[in-house]
Amino acid sequence: MAGQIAIETLALTKIFTDWWGRSKVMAVSDLSLQVRHNEVFGFLGPNGSGKTTTIKMLLGLLKATKGRSLVLGGESTDPKIASRIGYLPEESYLYKYLSARETLNFYANLFGLAGDVRKMRVEALLDMVGLGAVANRPVGTFSKGMARRIGLAQALINDPDLLILDEPTSGLDPIGTRQIKDLIIALAKRGKTILLCSHLLADVEDVCDRIAILYGGKMQTQGKVKELLEQHGKIQITTKEMPAGVVSQIKDIIEKQGGQFQVSPPLDRLETFFMRIVEQAQAQNQSTSGAMNTGQVEQYLNLTSKPSSILDKLVENNEAPVVNREPIVTEKVETAKIEPDRVVLKELISNAQPPKTEAIKPQEKVKVEIPKPAVNRNVLDDLVDPSNAGDK
Amino acid sequence: MPALWAIAKNTIAQAVRMKVAAIFIVLLLILLPLMSVIVTGDGSVKGKLQTFVGYGLSLTSLLLCLLTIIISTYSLSSDIKYKQIWTVVTKPVRRWQVMLGKLLGIIILDFVLLAGFASIIYGLTMLMPRLSHAGPDEMVQLENEFFTARASVKPLIPDVRNEVEEAFSKMQDQGNLPQGMTPLQVRQQLYQQKMLEKQAVPPGQAIAWQFQDVAVFDPNQYIFIRFKYDVSVNPPNMSVYGRWIIGDDRQLAASGSSLKTPIYAPPPQSDSIRTVHELAVPADAVVDGYLGLAFQNLPANNTVVIFPTEDGLEVLYKAGSFQGNFIRAVAVIFIRLVFLAMLGVSLAAWLSFPVAILVCLVIFAMGSMSTFIFESFDALEGSGSVAYTLILKPALNLLPQFDKFAPADFLIKGQYLSLASVLGQAGVMIGIQGAIVLIVGIVIFRFKEMAKVTV
Repeated sequence: MAGQIAIETLALTKIFTDWWGRSKVMAVSDLSLQVRHNEVFGFLGPNGSGKTTTIKMLLGLLKATKGRSLVLGGESTDPKIASRIGYLPEESYLYKYLSARETLNFYANLFGLAGDVRKMRVEALLDMVGLGAVANRPVGTFSKGMARRIGLAQALINDPDLLILDEPTSGLDPIGTRQIKDLIIALAKRGKTILLCSHLLADVEDVCDRIAILYGGKMQTQGKVKELLEQHGKIQITTKEMPAGVVSQIKDIIEKQGGQFQVSPPLDRLETFFMRIVEQAQAQNQSTSGAMNTGQVEQYLNLTSKPSSILDKLVENNEAPVVNREPIVTEKVETAKIEPDRVVLKELISNAQPPKTEAIKPQEKVKVEIPKPAVNRNVLDDLVDPSNAGDK
Repeated sequence: MPALWAIAKNTIAQAVRMKVAAIFIVLLLILLPLMSVIVTGDGSVKGKLQTFVGYGLSLTSLLLCLLTIIISTYSLSSDIKYKQIWTVVTKPVRRWQVMLGKLLGIIILDFVLLAGFASIIYGLTMLMPRLSHAGPDEMVQLENEFFTARASVKPLIPDVRNEVEEAFSKMQDQGNLPQGMTPLQVRQQLYQQKMLEKQAVPPGQAIAWQFQDVAVFDPNQYIFIRFKYDVSVNPPNMSVYGRWIIGDDRQLAASGSSLKTPIYAPPPQSDSIRTVHELAVPADAVVDGYLGLAFQNLPANNTVVIFPTEDGLEVLYKAGSFQGNFIRAVAVIFIRLVFLAMLGVSLAAWLSFPVAILVCLVIFAMGSMSTFIFESFDALEGSGSVAYTLILKPALNLLPQFDKFAPADFLIKGQYLSLASVLGQAGVMIGIQGAIVLIVGIVIFRFKEMAKVTV
């Protein structure tokens, strides 16, 4: 591995032209980005901000108008580099006529995986994404979320060093979303680098070490999640339930010092609550024709050797997702506790799930917290242009 | 290369599950046996077989060509349109491998389908004579004229240059040279006139030809005189009454009386005009590859008999087996399919499916009537168009000429199809034309922006 940088872009620019070669859309402008090895990097931005375009340039699916990009120290189109990358496009573009197992075998063969390794990986991944029971069904008959799971499985088939995920959780149920987040955390612990592109902020917040926010094809800010989100001048205390007397004593102490004080029981995140209900249903063996939550993320990871003590522990525990909840909750304690709950709640309450509108609302909230809301007026005008719609 | 193979396998799966292949397969499976039952030809077993093999192979060729065009233009262009290509080219696979994988898959599919249908046609061809109630004569004729692979020799071209020069100088002396014609044009006209005279036999007169390189390898076999009469005035019953003499005529001049090799003179016979006929003669008439042939136009005909220069007269002899010929004929169809697959995949790399298939079909149609197209464009050249000579003509050289080399015709005529000519076809269609088309496609695909939105 060359140096500490997994992905580096230098003044990367993409201008889309029309048929006559006239410039129409400045999709990415002068983007310089560095993703370090073994880092979960969140790539954020509203629709049409240039996230996907950047990823496509990184992967050689689009040619940069100006600037250049290095992936794992070279060109991503070089087979040696490409064999270390896993890529999940913004939608799972699969061969509808292949079954789930055939699909994974196909991609495994593209990597030239030998017979035994291939079989093992394919079966482990099918179990991991919960599609073992429907492995022989054509993927054309799958729901969007199930197709997403196969898409994720194909991105992992080569045990990649660098995983590029474009909207990995779109179309997934909360269990799948949660599994992907667990997987990302687990992969990061195993030394992988992950570039996560999303506008679902709750997802990004839970797993990313560093984030960059893109708007109008330009980098608006980047940095460590904790540092960016910390509210200055406030602290939070969490305790077990206390007798009313103790609480009022504490209140007195704080008010003597001129501080403000609020008491409320900490809320469970809706995600956690949802997981609990589904697990109960599964424990009662209720049948489903959809995807199964098997909690076998760890099994896939173990196949690639490198035993890790944490992962080993997780294998023993059937309730892996619940165990993995802990690091997330602690993060919440340090940051804003209530807001992410509302985000998840909103997502779950609306049946139609139009991710675009929902995603933009929390987006604005986060922006308020960003210390540097420098939005370039010209860029904004560009974006208002209707030809700019879509994330291209 | 596991990646190449994986893409090939995926392409086959796509074609097989696309239903269009199934439709073509079912169609052929129904039509071929049905055809073997209902074809009649000219009523004889031979005619029936000729019609069946001719139509059967042509139909198989046509349907598989269409199938190849559809699959080859669809496979890659749909991958690009529906974006599955994104997760393929971002894997450790070179783009040319993607194209070659697609091509390989289509070629394998074509090979399997063609082998299957050719076997069915072959099996039915072998079965049909047994099911018919043909007499022994008909069976012999079948064996000699259909279940064989015969090479053909045309008569030596008579040298008429001196006669042309004589006639030319005579015209010059008499001042009869036509106005507005160059000497070359006059000579060409005279040449054609003299050649026609050499092939024309007035009533009551005879004409002789010499053949060389008649490579008979078994003197116990038969050779076949294939001829077609043309006439100056149509006889009442539309047929010509003529006498044929076949053998080594050189020995007549040399010794006079005793013959070392036989000279055959069958009784005079009547044959319809403007139709191809065959006369079977024992092969021992040929001496060291030499054969003499004479025809007498009997006075009763009262018309001049002309042997057309194109297909008026040739000698056929057995040069190979029907089986060998059949396999080579099928190989010619396979070469076509490979070319079309190369063309389709190459076009699909940069054109959308509807455009690519349209271009492919146009080229297929043009290739199927290339003789006509070349002739019409040659007329353009006469008018001295620079654009034609510089641009269109080189491009036309890339056009495959399917019609110039119709494999079914060889089987219908029982004509020997040499391996050399099959390999020559493969060299031109796959090695040159197909390769150029494919390389252009690969280069375009190499630099294509896969994720570019085209509206």
